[in-house]
Amino acid sequence: MIGVAAKMLLHSKVRSISTLLGIAVAFVLSAAQIGLMVSWCNTVSAIVRHADVDVWVMAEQTPAFDYGTPIPEGRLYQVRSVPGVAWAETLFMTWMFLRQPDGSRTIVELVGVDDGLAGGPWSMAENDASVLLEPDAIIVDRLYARQLGVSQIGDEVEMSDRRAIVRGFSEGVRTITAAPFVFTSIQSALEYDPRYRDDEITYVIARCEAGTSPEQLRDAIALAVPSVQVLTTQEFVERTLSYWLFDTGLGLTVIATAILGLVVGTVIISQALYAITNDHLPNYATLLAVGFGRWQLIAVVMVQAALLGIIGIAIGSTVFGRLSLISQATPIPIEMTPLVFGGIVLIFLACCLAASFLSLRSIFRIDPVAVFHN
Amino acid sequence: MIAALACHNLTKVYGRGSLAETALSGVTFTFQAGECCMLLGPSGSGKTTFLSIVGCLLSPTGGTVELGGKSIDYNRKGLLTRLRRTQIGFVFQHAQLLPFLSVYENLNIVARNSGLRDGDARKRIRALLEQLGISQYAHRKPDNLSGGQRQRVSIARAVLHRPRIILADEPTAALDWENGQAATKLLIEQAHNDGALLIVVSHDTRLSDLFDRTLRLESGKLRDP
Repeated sequence: MIGVAAKMLLHSKVRSISTLLGIAVAFVLSAAQIGLMVSWCNTVSAIVRHADVDVWVMAEQTPAFDYGTPIPEGRLYQVRSVPGVAWAETLFMTWMFLRQPDGSRTIVELVGVDDGLAGGPWSMAENDASVLLEPDAIIVDRLYARQLGVSQIGDEVEMSDRRAIVRGFSEGVRTITAAPFVFTSIQSALEYDPRYRDDEITYVIARCEAGTSPEQLRDAIALAVPSVQVLTTQEFVERTLSYWLFDTGLGLTVIATAILGLVVGTVIISQALYAITNDHLPNYATLLAVGFGRWQLIAVVMVQAALLGIIGIAIGSTVFGRLSLISQATPIPIEMTPLVFGGIVLIFLACCLAASFLSLRSIFRIDPVAVFHN
Repeated sequence: MIAALACHNLTKVYGRGSLAETALSGVTFTFQAGECCMLLGPSGSGKTTFLSIVGCLLSPTGGTVELGGKSIDYNRKGLLTRLRRTQIGFVFQHAQLLPFLSVYENLNIVARNSGLRDGDARKRIRALLEQLGISQYAHRKPDNLSGGQRQRVSIARAVLHRPRIILADEPTAALDWENGQAATKLLIEQAHNDGALLIVVSHDTRLSDLFDRTLRLESGKLRDP
């Protein structure tokens, strides 16, 4: 019956081709939205994940990495004295205005790293992250260089009327906000942001000793250090994701658009299959009359739905792949994981099969006696 | 001798109450294997209803139908499908071939569905196409055939699984006289070849000489011709 199903589709060429294009477009729409979400998830938690630490100590009620508030620098020493801590440093995070060489101002997320450079840029295009330890040094990402009015190493900008010199360019250190990340040392960061006192920082980051798990260390620090919140890296990643995706409503918008793509795809295939089935109702009646069972006819419709779905998804995947490649050079790339992609394909295929419901109703209503009435 | 097809007191009423319309009323027939019968009657006389019931496409309101001595249980849909697949062959007024399949494919799916193996089906189809003089059209789509050629393919489809009964509904209505006559002769010849019972519904009384027996239905009742 696969041959019959395929030939029936080929017989209705225009309808089949328009259906395939519809499914492909709907698939690209959904996959692109989910790809954006995957990319945003990777982006919003990138610094936390790439810092390569086990535990984050922060002010209570910190909703996300980007919205840290000051805590006393003394917390660093308290953390270092907790048994199980192998290493601990500070990290600074604030929002600043950066004045470009032409005088225009851009808001940036300023990240100040300690001597160990944890939380700094993880992928460099020019120079090494250690240049951050030089006075007034900053590193910006190549993707945002134009937005920040810089183009080469040595270019100068200002923050709070203090000079900042571009000493390196990172690569692929993106932000989902309009404010690019600018990396500097914690000493420089404290000088740039007058709202912070000299003895204030944003985060204490720590690594466990061998034999201590991040959870154990988290609990030990929480007991020993007052008035702070302690999270493992995984927990902080999840909290940051949850804030950006759900508290801001951004994720719901993306999910809604992805679902819309799915619904559009389902409606397209449902309508097209229904039309193709109705076009062939006399043929189905003939098949019933000459000894085919209704379940065989249902199989024909299901095979058609699956064929349209598989080919439509294949076309959509090719387009999505190209789109994803092109987007890698932009501040908002479309990314995908094999698991998520497999999930989208399965959901789409299930929707294609579900879309055959209307057609199946038609099949169940065929009266084979109709063959005598032409 | 067991009749190939026997109908006892066959009744069919469409609708209920004041809207009820009787299409068949107490029709009793007996047909022997190898018999070729012509069923005459004006429009609305119940011919198509009769074919639909004995073709296992429609259940009667009353009465029984026996195929090869076994009563058909019209409540068993699976059984009806199986009977249509293996014991009954249909020839329709407009051939009703599947337009998206070639002549060969139209025959092959029915042959395979009836249980013929691939090699046997291929041999049987080739032989039939040869006998019916349409072997050169095996790979053409029905749209590229004339009405007479399409009806020959339809005859091949009806007989290729060697059914016990062949039911033909106005098989010549869409053909001119010469083609109609030729198609009817071919149909009778194929039925004789396999010893099948052939029942042909037609308005064309000029063909009646070709048949062993002629029956007439009027207002749902059997009349002597």
